[in-house]
Amino acid sequence: MTTSTSYPVLQVEHLTMHYTTRKGVVKAVEDVSFSLNKGEALGLVGESGCGKTSVALTILRLLPENAQFLGGHVYFFRDGSDEAHVRRALGKPVKILLNGREHQGRLLEVNRAQLVLETQLNGRSQQIKLGRSDITHLGVDLTALSDEEMRPIRWKGISMIFQAAMNSLNPVYKVGDQLIEAIQTHMPLSLPEARERVAQLFQLVGLDRQLMDRYPHEYSGGMKQRAVIAMALACDPDIIIADEPTTALDVIVQDKILREMRQIQKKLNMSMIYISHDIAVIAEVADRVGVMYAGSLVEFGPSEPIFKSPIHPYTKALMSAFPSIKGEKVKLTALPGEPPDLIKPPSGCRFHPRCPYATEICEREVPQFIEHKPNQYAACWNPLT
Amino acid sequence: MARIWQVLTSGMSKYIIVRLLQIVLVLYLYMTLVFIILEAQPGDITDIYVGNPKITPEAREAIIKQLGLDKPLHERYLNYLKNFVTGHLGCSFKWGNIREVPDPVCREQRPTWDLIKERLPRTVLLFLTYTIISFYIGFFLGKLIAWRRGAIIEYFSTVVGVVLFTVFTPWFALLLVWIFAVNLGIVPIGGFINPDNWRVVERVGTVSRDMGVSLSNVVFNYILMWLGGLTLVWGVIYLVSQRFPYAWQRRVARWGSVCIGLLAMGAFFGGAWPGSADQAVIASETRFNFFLWQLEFPAGTIPLFPLALDFVQHMILPILTLTLISFAGTMLLMRNTMLETMREDYVMAAKAKGLPDQVVRDKHAARNALLPVVTSLIFAIAFSVDGGVFTETIFSWPGMGKLLLESAIEQDYPVAIGTLVFTGIFALVAHLIADILYAFLDPRIRYD
Repeated sequence: MTTSTSYPVLQVEHLTMHYTTRKGVVKAVEDVSFSLNKGEALGLVGESGCGKTSVALTILRLLPENAQFLGGHVYFFRDGSDEAHVRRALGKPVKILLNGREHQGRLLEVNRAQLVLETQLNGRSQQIKLGRSDITHLGVDLTALSDEEMRPIRWKGISMIFQAAMNSLNPVYKVGDQLIEAIQTHMPLSLPEARERVAQLFQLVGLDRQLMDRYPHEYSGGMKQRAVIAMALACDPDIIIADEPTTALDVIVQDKILREMRQIQKKLNMSMIYISHDIAVIAEVADRVGVMYAGSLVEFGPSEPIFKSPIHPYTKALMSAFPSIKGEKVKLTALPGEPPDLIKPPSGCRFHPRCPYATEICEREVPQFIEHKPNQYAACWNPLT
Repeated sequence: MARIWQVLTSGMSKYIIVRLLQIVLVLYLYMTLVFIILEAQPGDITDIYVGNPKITPEAREAIIKQLGLDKPLHERYLNYLKNFVTGHLGCSFKWGNIREVPDPVCREQRPTWDLIKERLPRTVLLFLTYTIISFYIGFFLGKLIAWRRGAIIEYFSTVVGVVLFTVFTPWFALLLVWIFAVNLGIVPIGGFINPDNWRVVERVGTVSRDMGVSLSNVVFNYILMWLGGLTLVWGVIYLVSQRFPYAWQRRVARWGSVCIGLLAMGAFFGGAWPGSADQAVIASETRFNFFLWQLEFPAGTIPLFPLALDFVQHMILPILTLTLISFAGTMLLMRNTMLETMREDYVMAAKAKGLPDQVVRDKHAARNALLPVVTSLIFAIAFSVDGGVFTETIFSWPGMGKLLLESAIEQDYPVAIGTLVFTGIFALVAHLIADILYAFLDPRIRYD
């Protein structure tokens, strides 16, 4: 999925995660794979409870105790010259992109000149040596890191804007101090320097710098949202995951904030993952879109073709259920039925009970996630054309 | 003038003033109720003389007249109120005067206030220490078991805590006395000092009895003042350390504690009590004796350290008992509120920020779980002035609880009422302090 101009900062492969509850095992994330490129905005869209947030939490390793991580890799890429990153990767599964080729394996040894990689080829393990200076994209598997190794990646590597921005600010501390806390954990800045940085961040997101010495309850909803965005930007992260960043706001403020976020993202050339149930939001901000249904990715591709000519019937149904602000008047059609129970998901394609195009094979077998049109992937037996 | 008025009527000050007025009203009602309830008991203090051949009915009448018990109830009530407003808590029926110049109101009797002055520091010492220790343990354990839910320590401390919490206090106290004092003999059985150690105090000279308490008590209070002062300094160091970056907090708190410890050692080893009779002179002179380099005791002075050690030794068993019995309350309260705050999004956000686990636990989760615990702490501190009647009786700790029990049994009404009213004042003020403290702990709370 990589081209020569854009390179990935995050690759998620075959992510599977279940929750153990009293009622049974909730199959929340099932075999999800996607990649995020540098400077790109990726949208994850789907109904509530389809596993979007779970994907984000799995990436950041913030899952609750009843979650079971069952497999998959999350490769987080940084430059090979980043000493801390290389050290962290030692002994861990890694992925190295070199001259358009992918090397996957375990990093055995690191010295000044080269990296020694143990790879599996045709069932035999072999060692390859790679020149240190050539490596510009070294991806380490986050799922293999210990909690202490994961800590520097949180917020400095990947930060997050949480679903309820209102509640992700601690009510007993001043907002500025909460940003300073994050900054001073990850960056060697003195208090006045950190304060200055917070002031700049506030300016960037359109907040008055005086507000940094106020408490969260003195903020309005929109202001809190902006503060949370500023907090996500605090350590200059490689990736920001925005989980329903504007759901709690009214439409006008929502639109404004989205547009500003988009501007900031372009300006800082950041990679973002937007998570939303609102396809209008995703359409506005995302370069590429992943559509999730019942824990798996059903369609993935550049946003334009996906919204113009979706392949998966679910994508189409989702789009016709939302009003368009700009387009011509069309009757909204609600999607019949309810999202499936993830404890006992339907057999075969999980969408088949609600799918108007379902055939007999849909009930029996899980469709492969394959490229149906150039760069447009979908998991469907009866793709729309 | 207008500015002062503005400050007084704005937000917090206005709230405090209104609350103070309410406190006065509630206190009046409480006092009246206490007065009526105690007066409603049948008989009076002279009942113990009935059947005593040495006291004739005439003599008994004379005592009744002397104590003013022949006057009608409303007159005595008004008299009590009048004394109360002038800061006088009445005169004990039982205790005789020990001052050189008797109290003008009480004359031959001992003023209630003098009794409280004598008993209160002892009770406060014991119960404040226990309250702080018990709350600290409860807070710490509660935080820990909530954070590591399902760990063995949770089951262990919950079971042990709840069993001890529900156990019958006097029985458990006696059990500990039997084990540690009777069988092992490592701590005294009861009492709050060993009189043999304190004879040295009385030998030095006489204190002006106008203070209403003996010299031993004055020395005792003086030591307490020092302990309290050092604890206060420690508290300030701890609070200041909270302003430092996390990596420094522990270091500052630790070194602060070491310094305080050294200062305390120095004060009590080097410190001495000059044999002067005048309290003002005592205070100004000994302060300079309390530095490390003045290790020689001036002539006619008392080394304070053995004395301090004496009552600390007597405190061990009661504090152990009380702490074991009550820490579970705080622990479970803390655990429950902590479990709630741990579900909050800002705790998840703190984790996502890559903060160390300890910071997330202490600064974000525990800090927000603190409010209900602080409430119960404030009330526990407020009620540390009335002491535990059970505890003080079992450990023969001559404090407020024992005073209340004795005076109620022997129908020494003024002392019983005085003790209760005094406790009431503390409880009411503690309420106010708790409310004010809320505003500092939780910035969302505003009183305007």
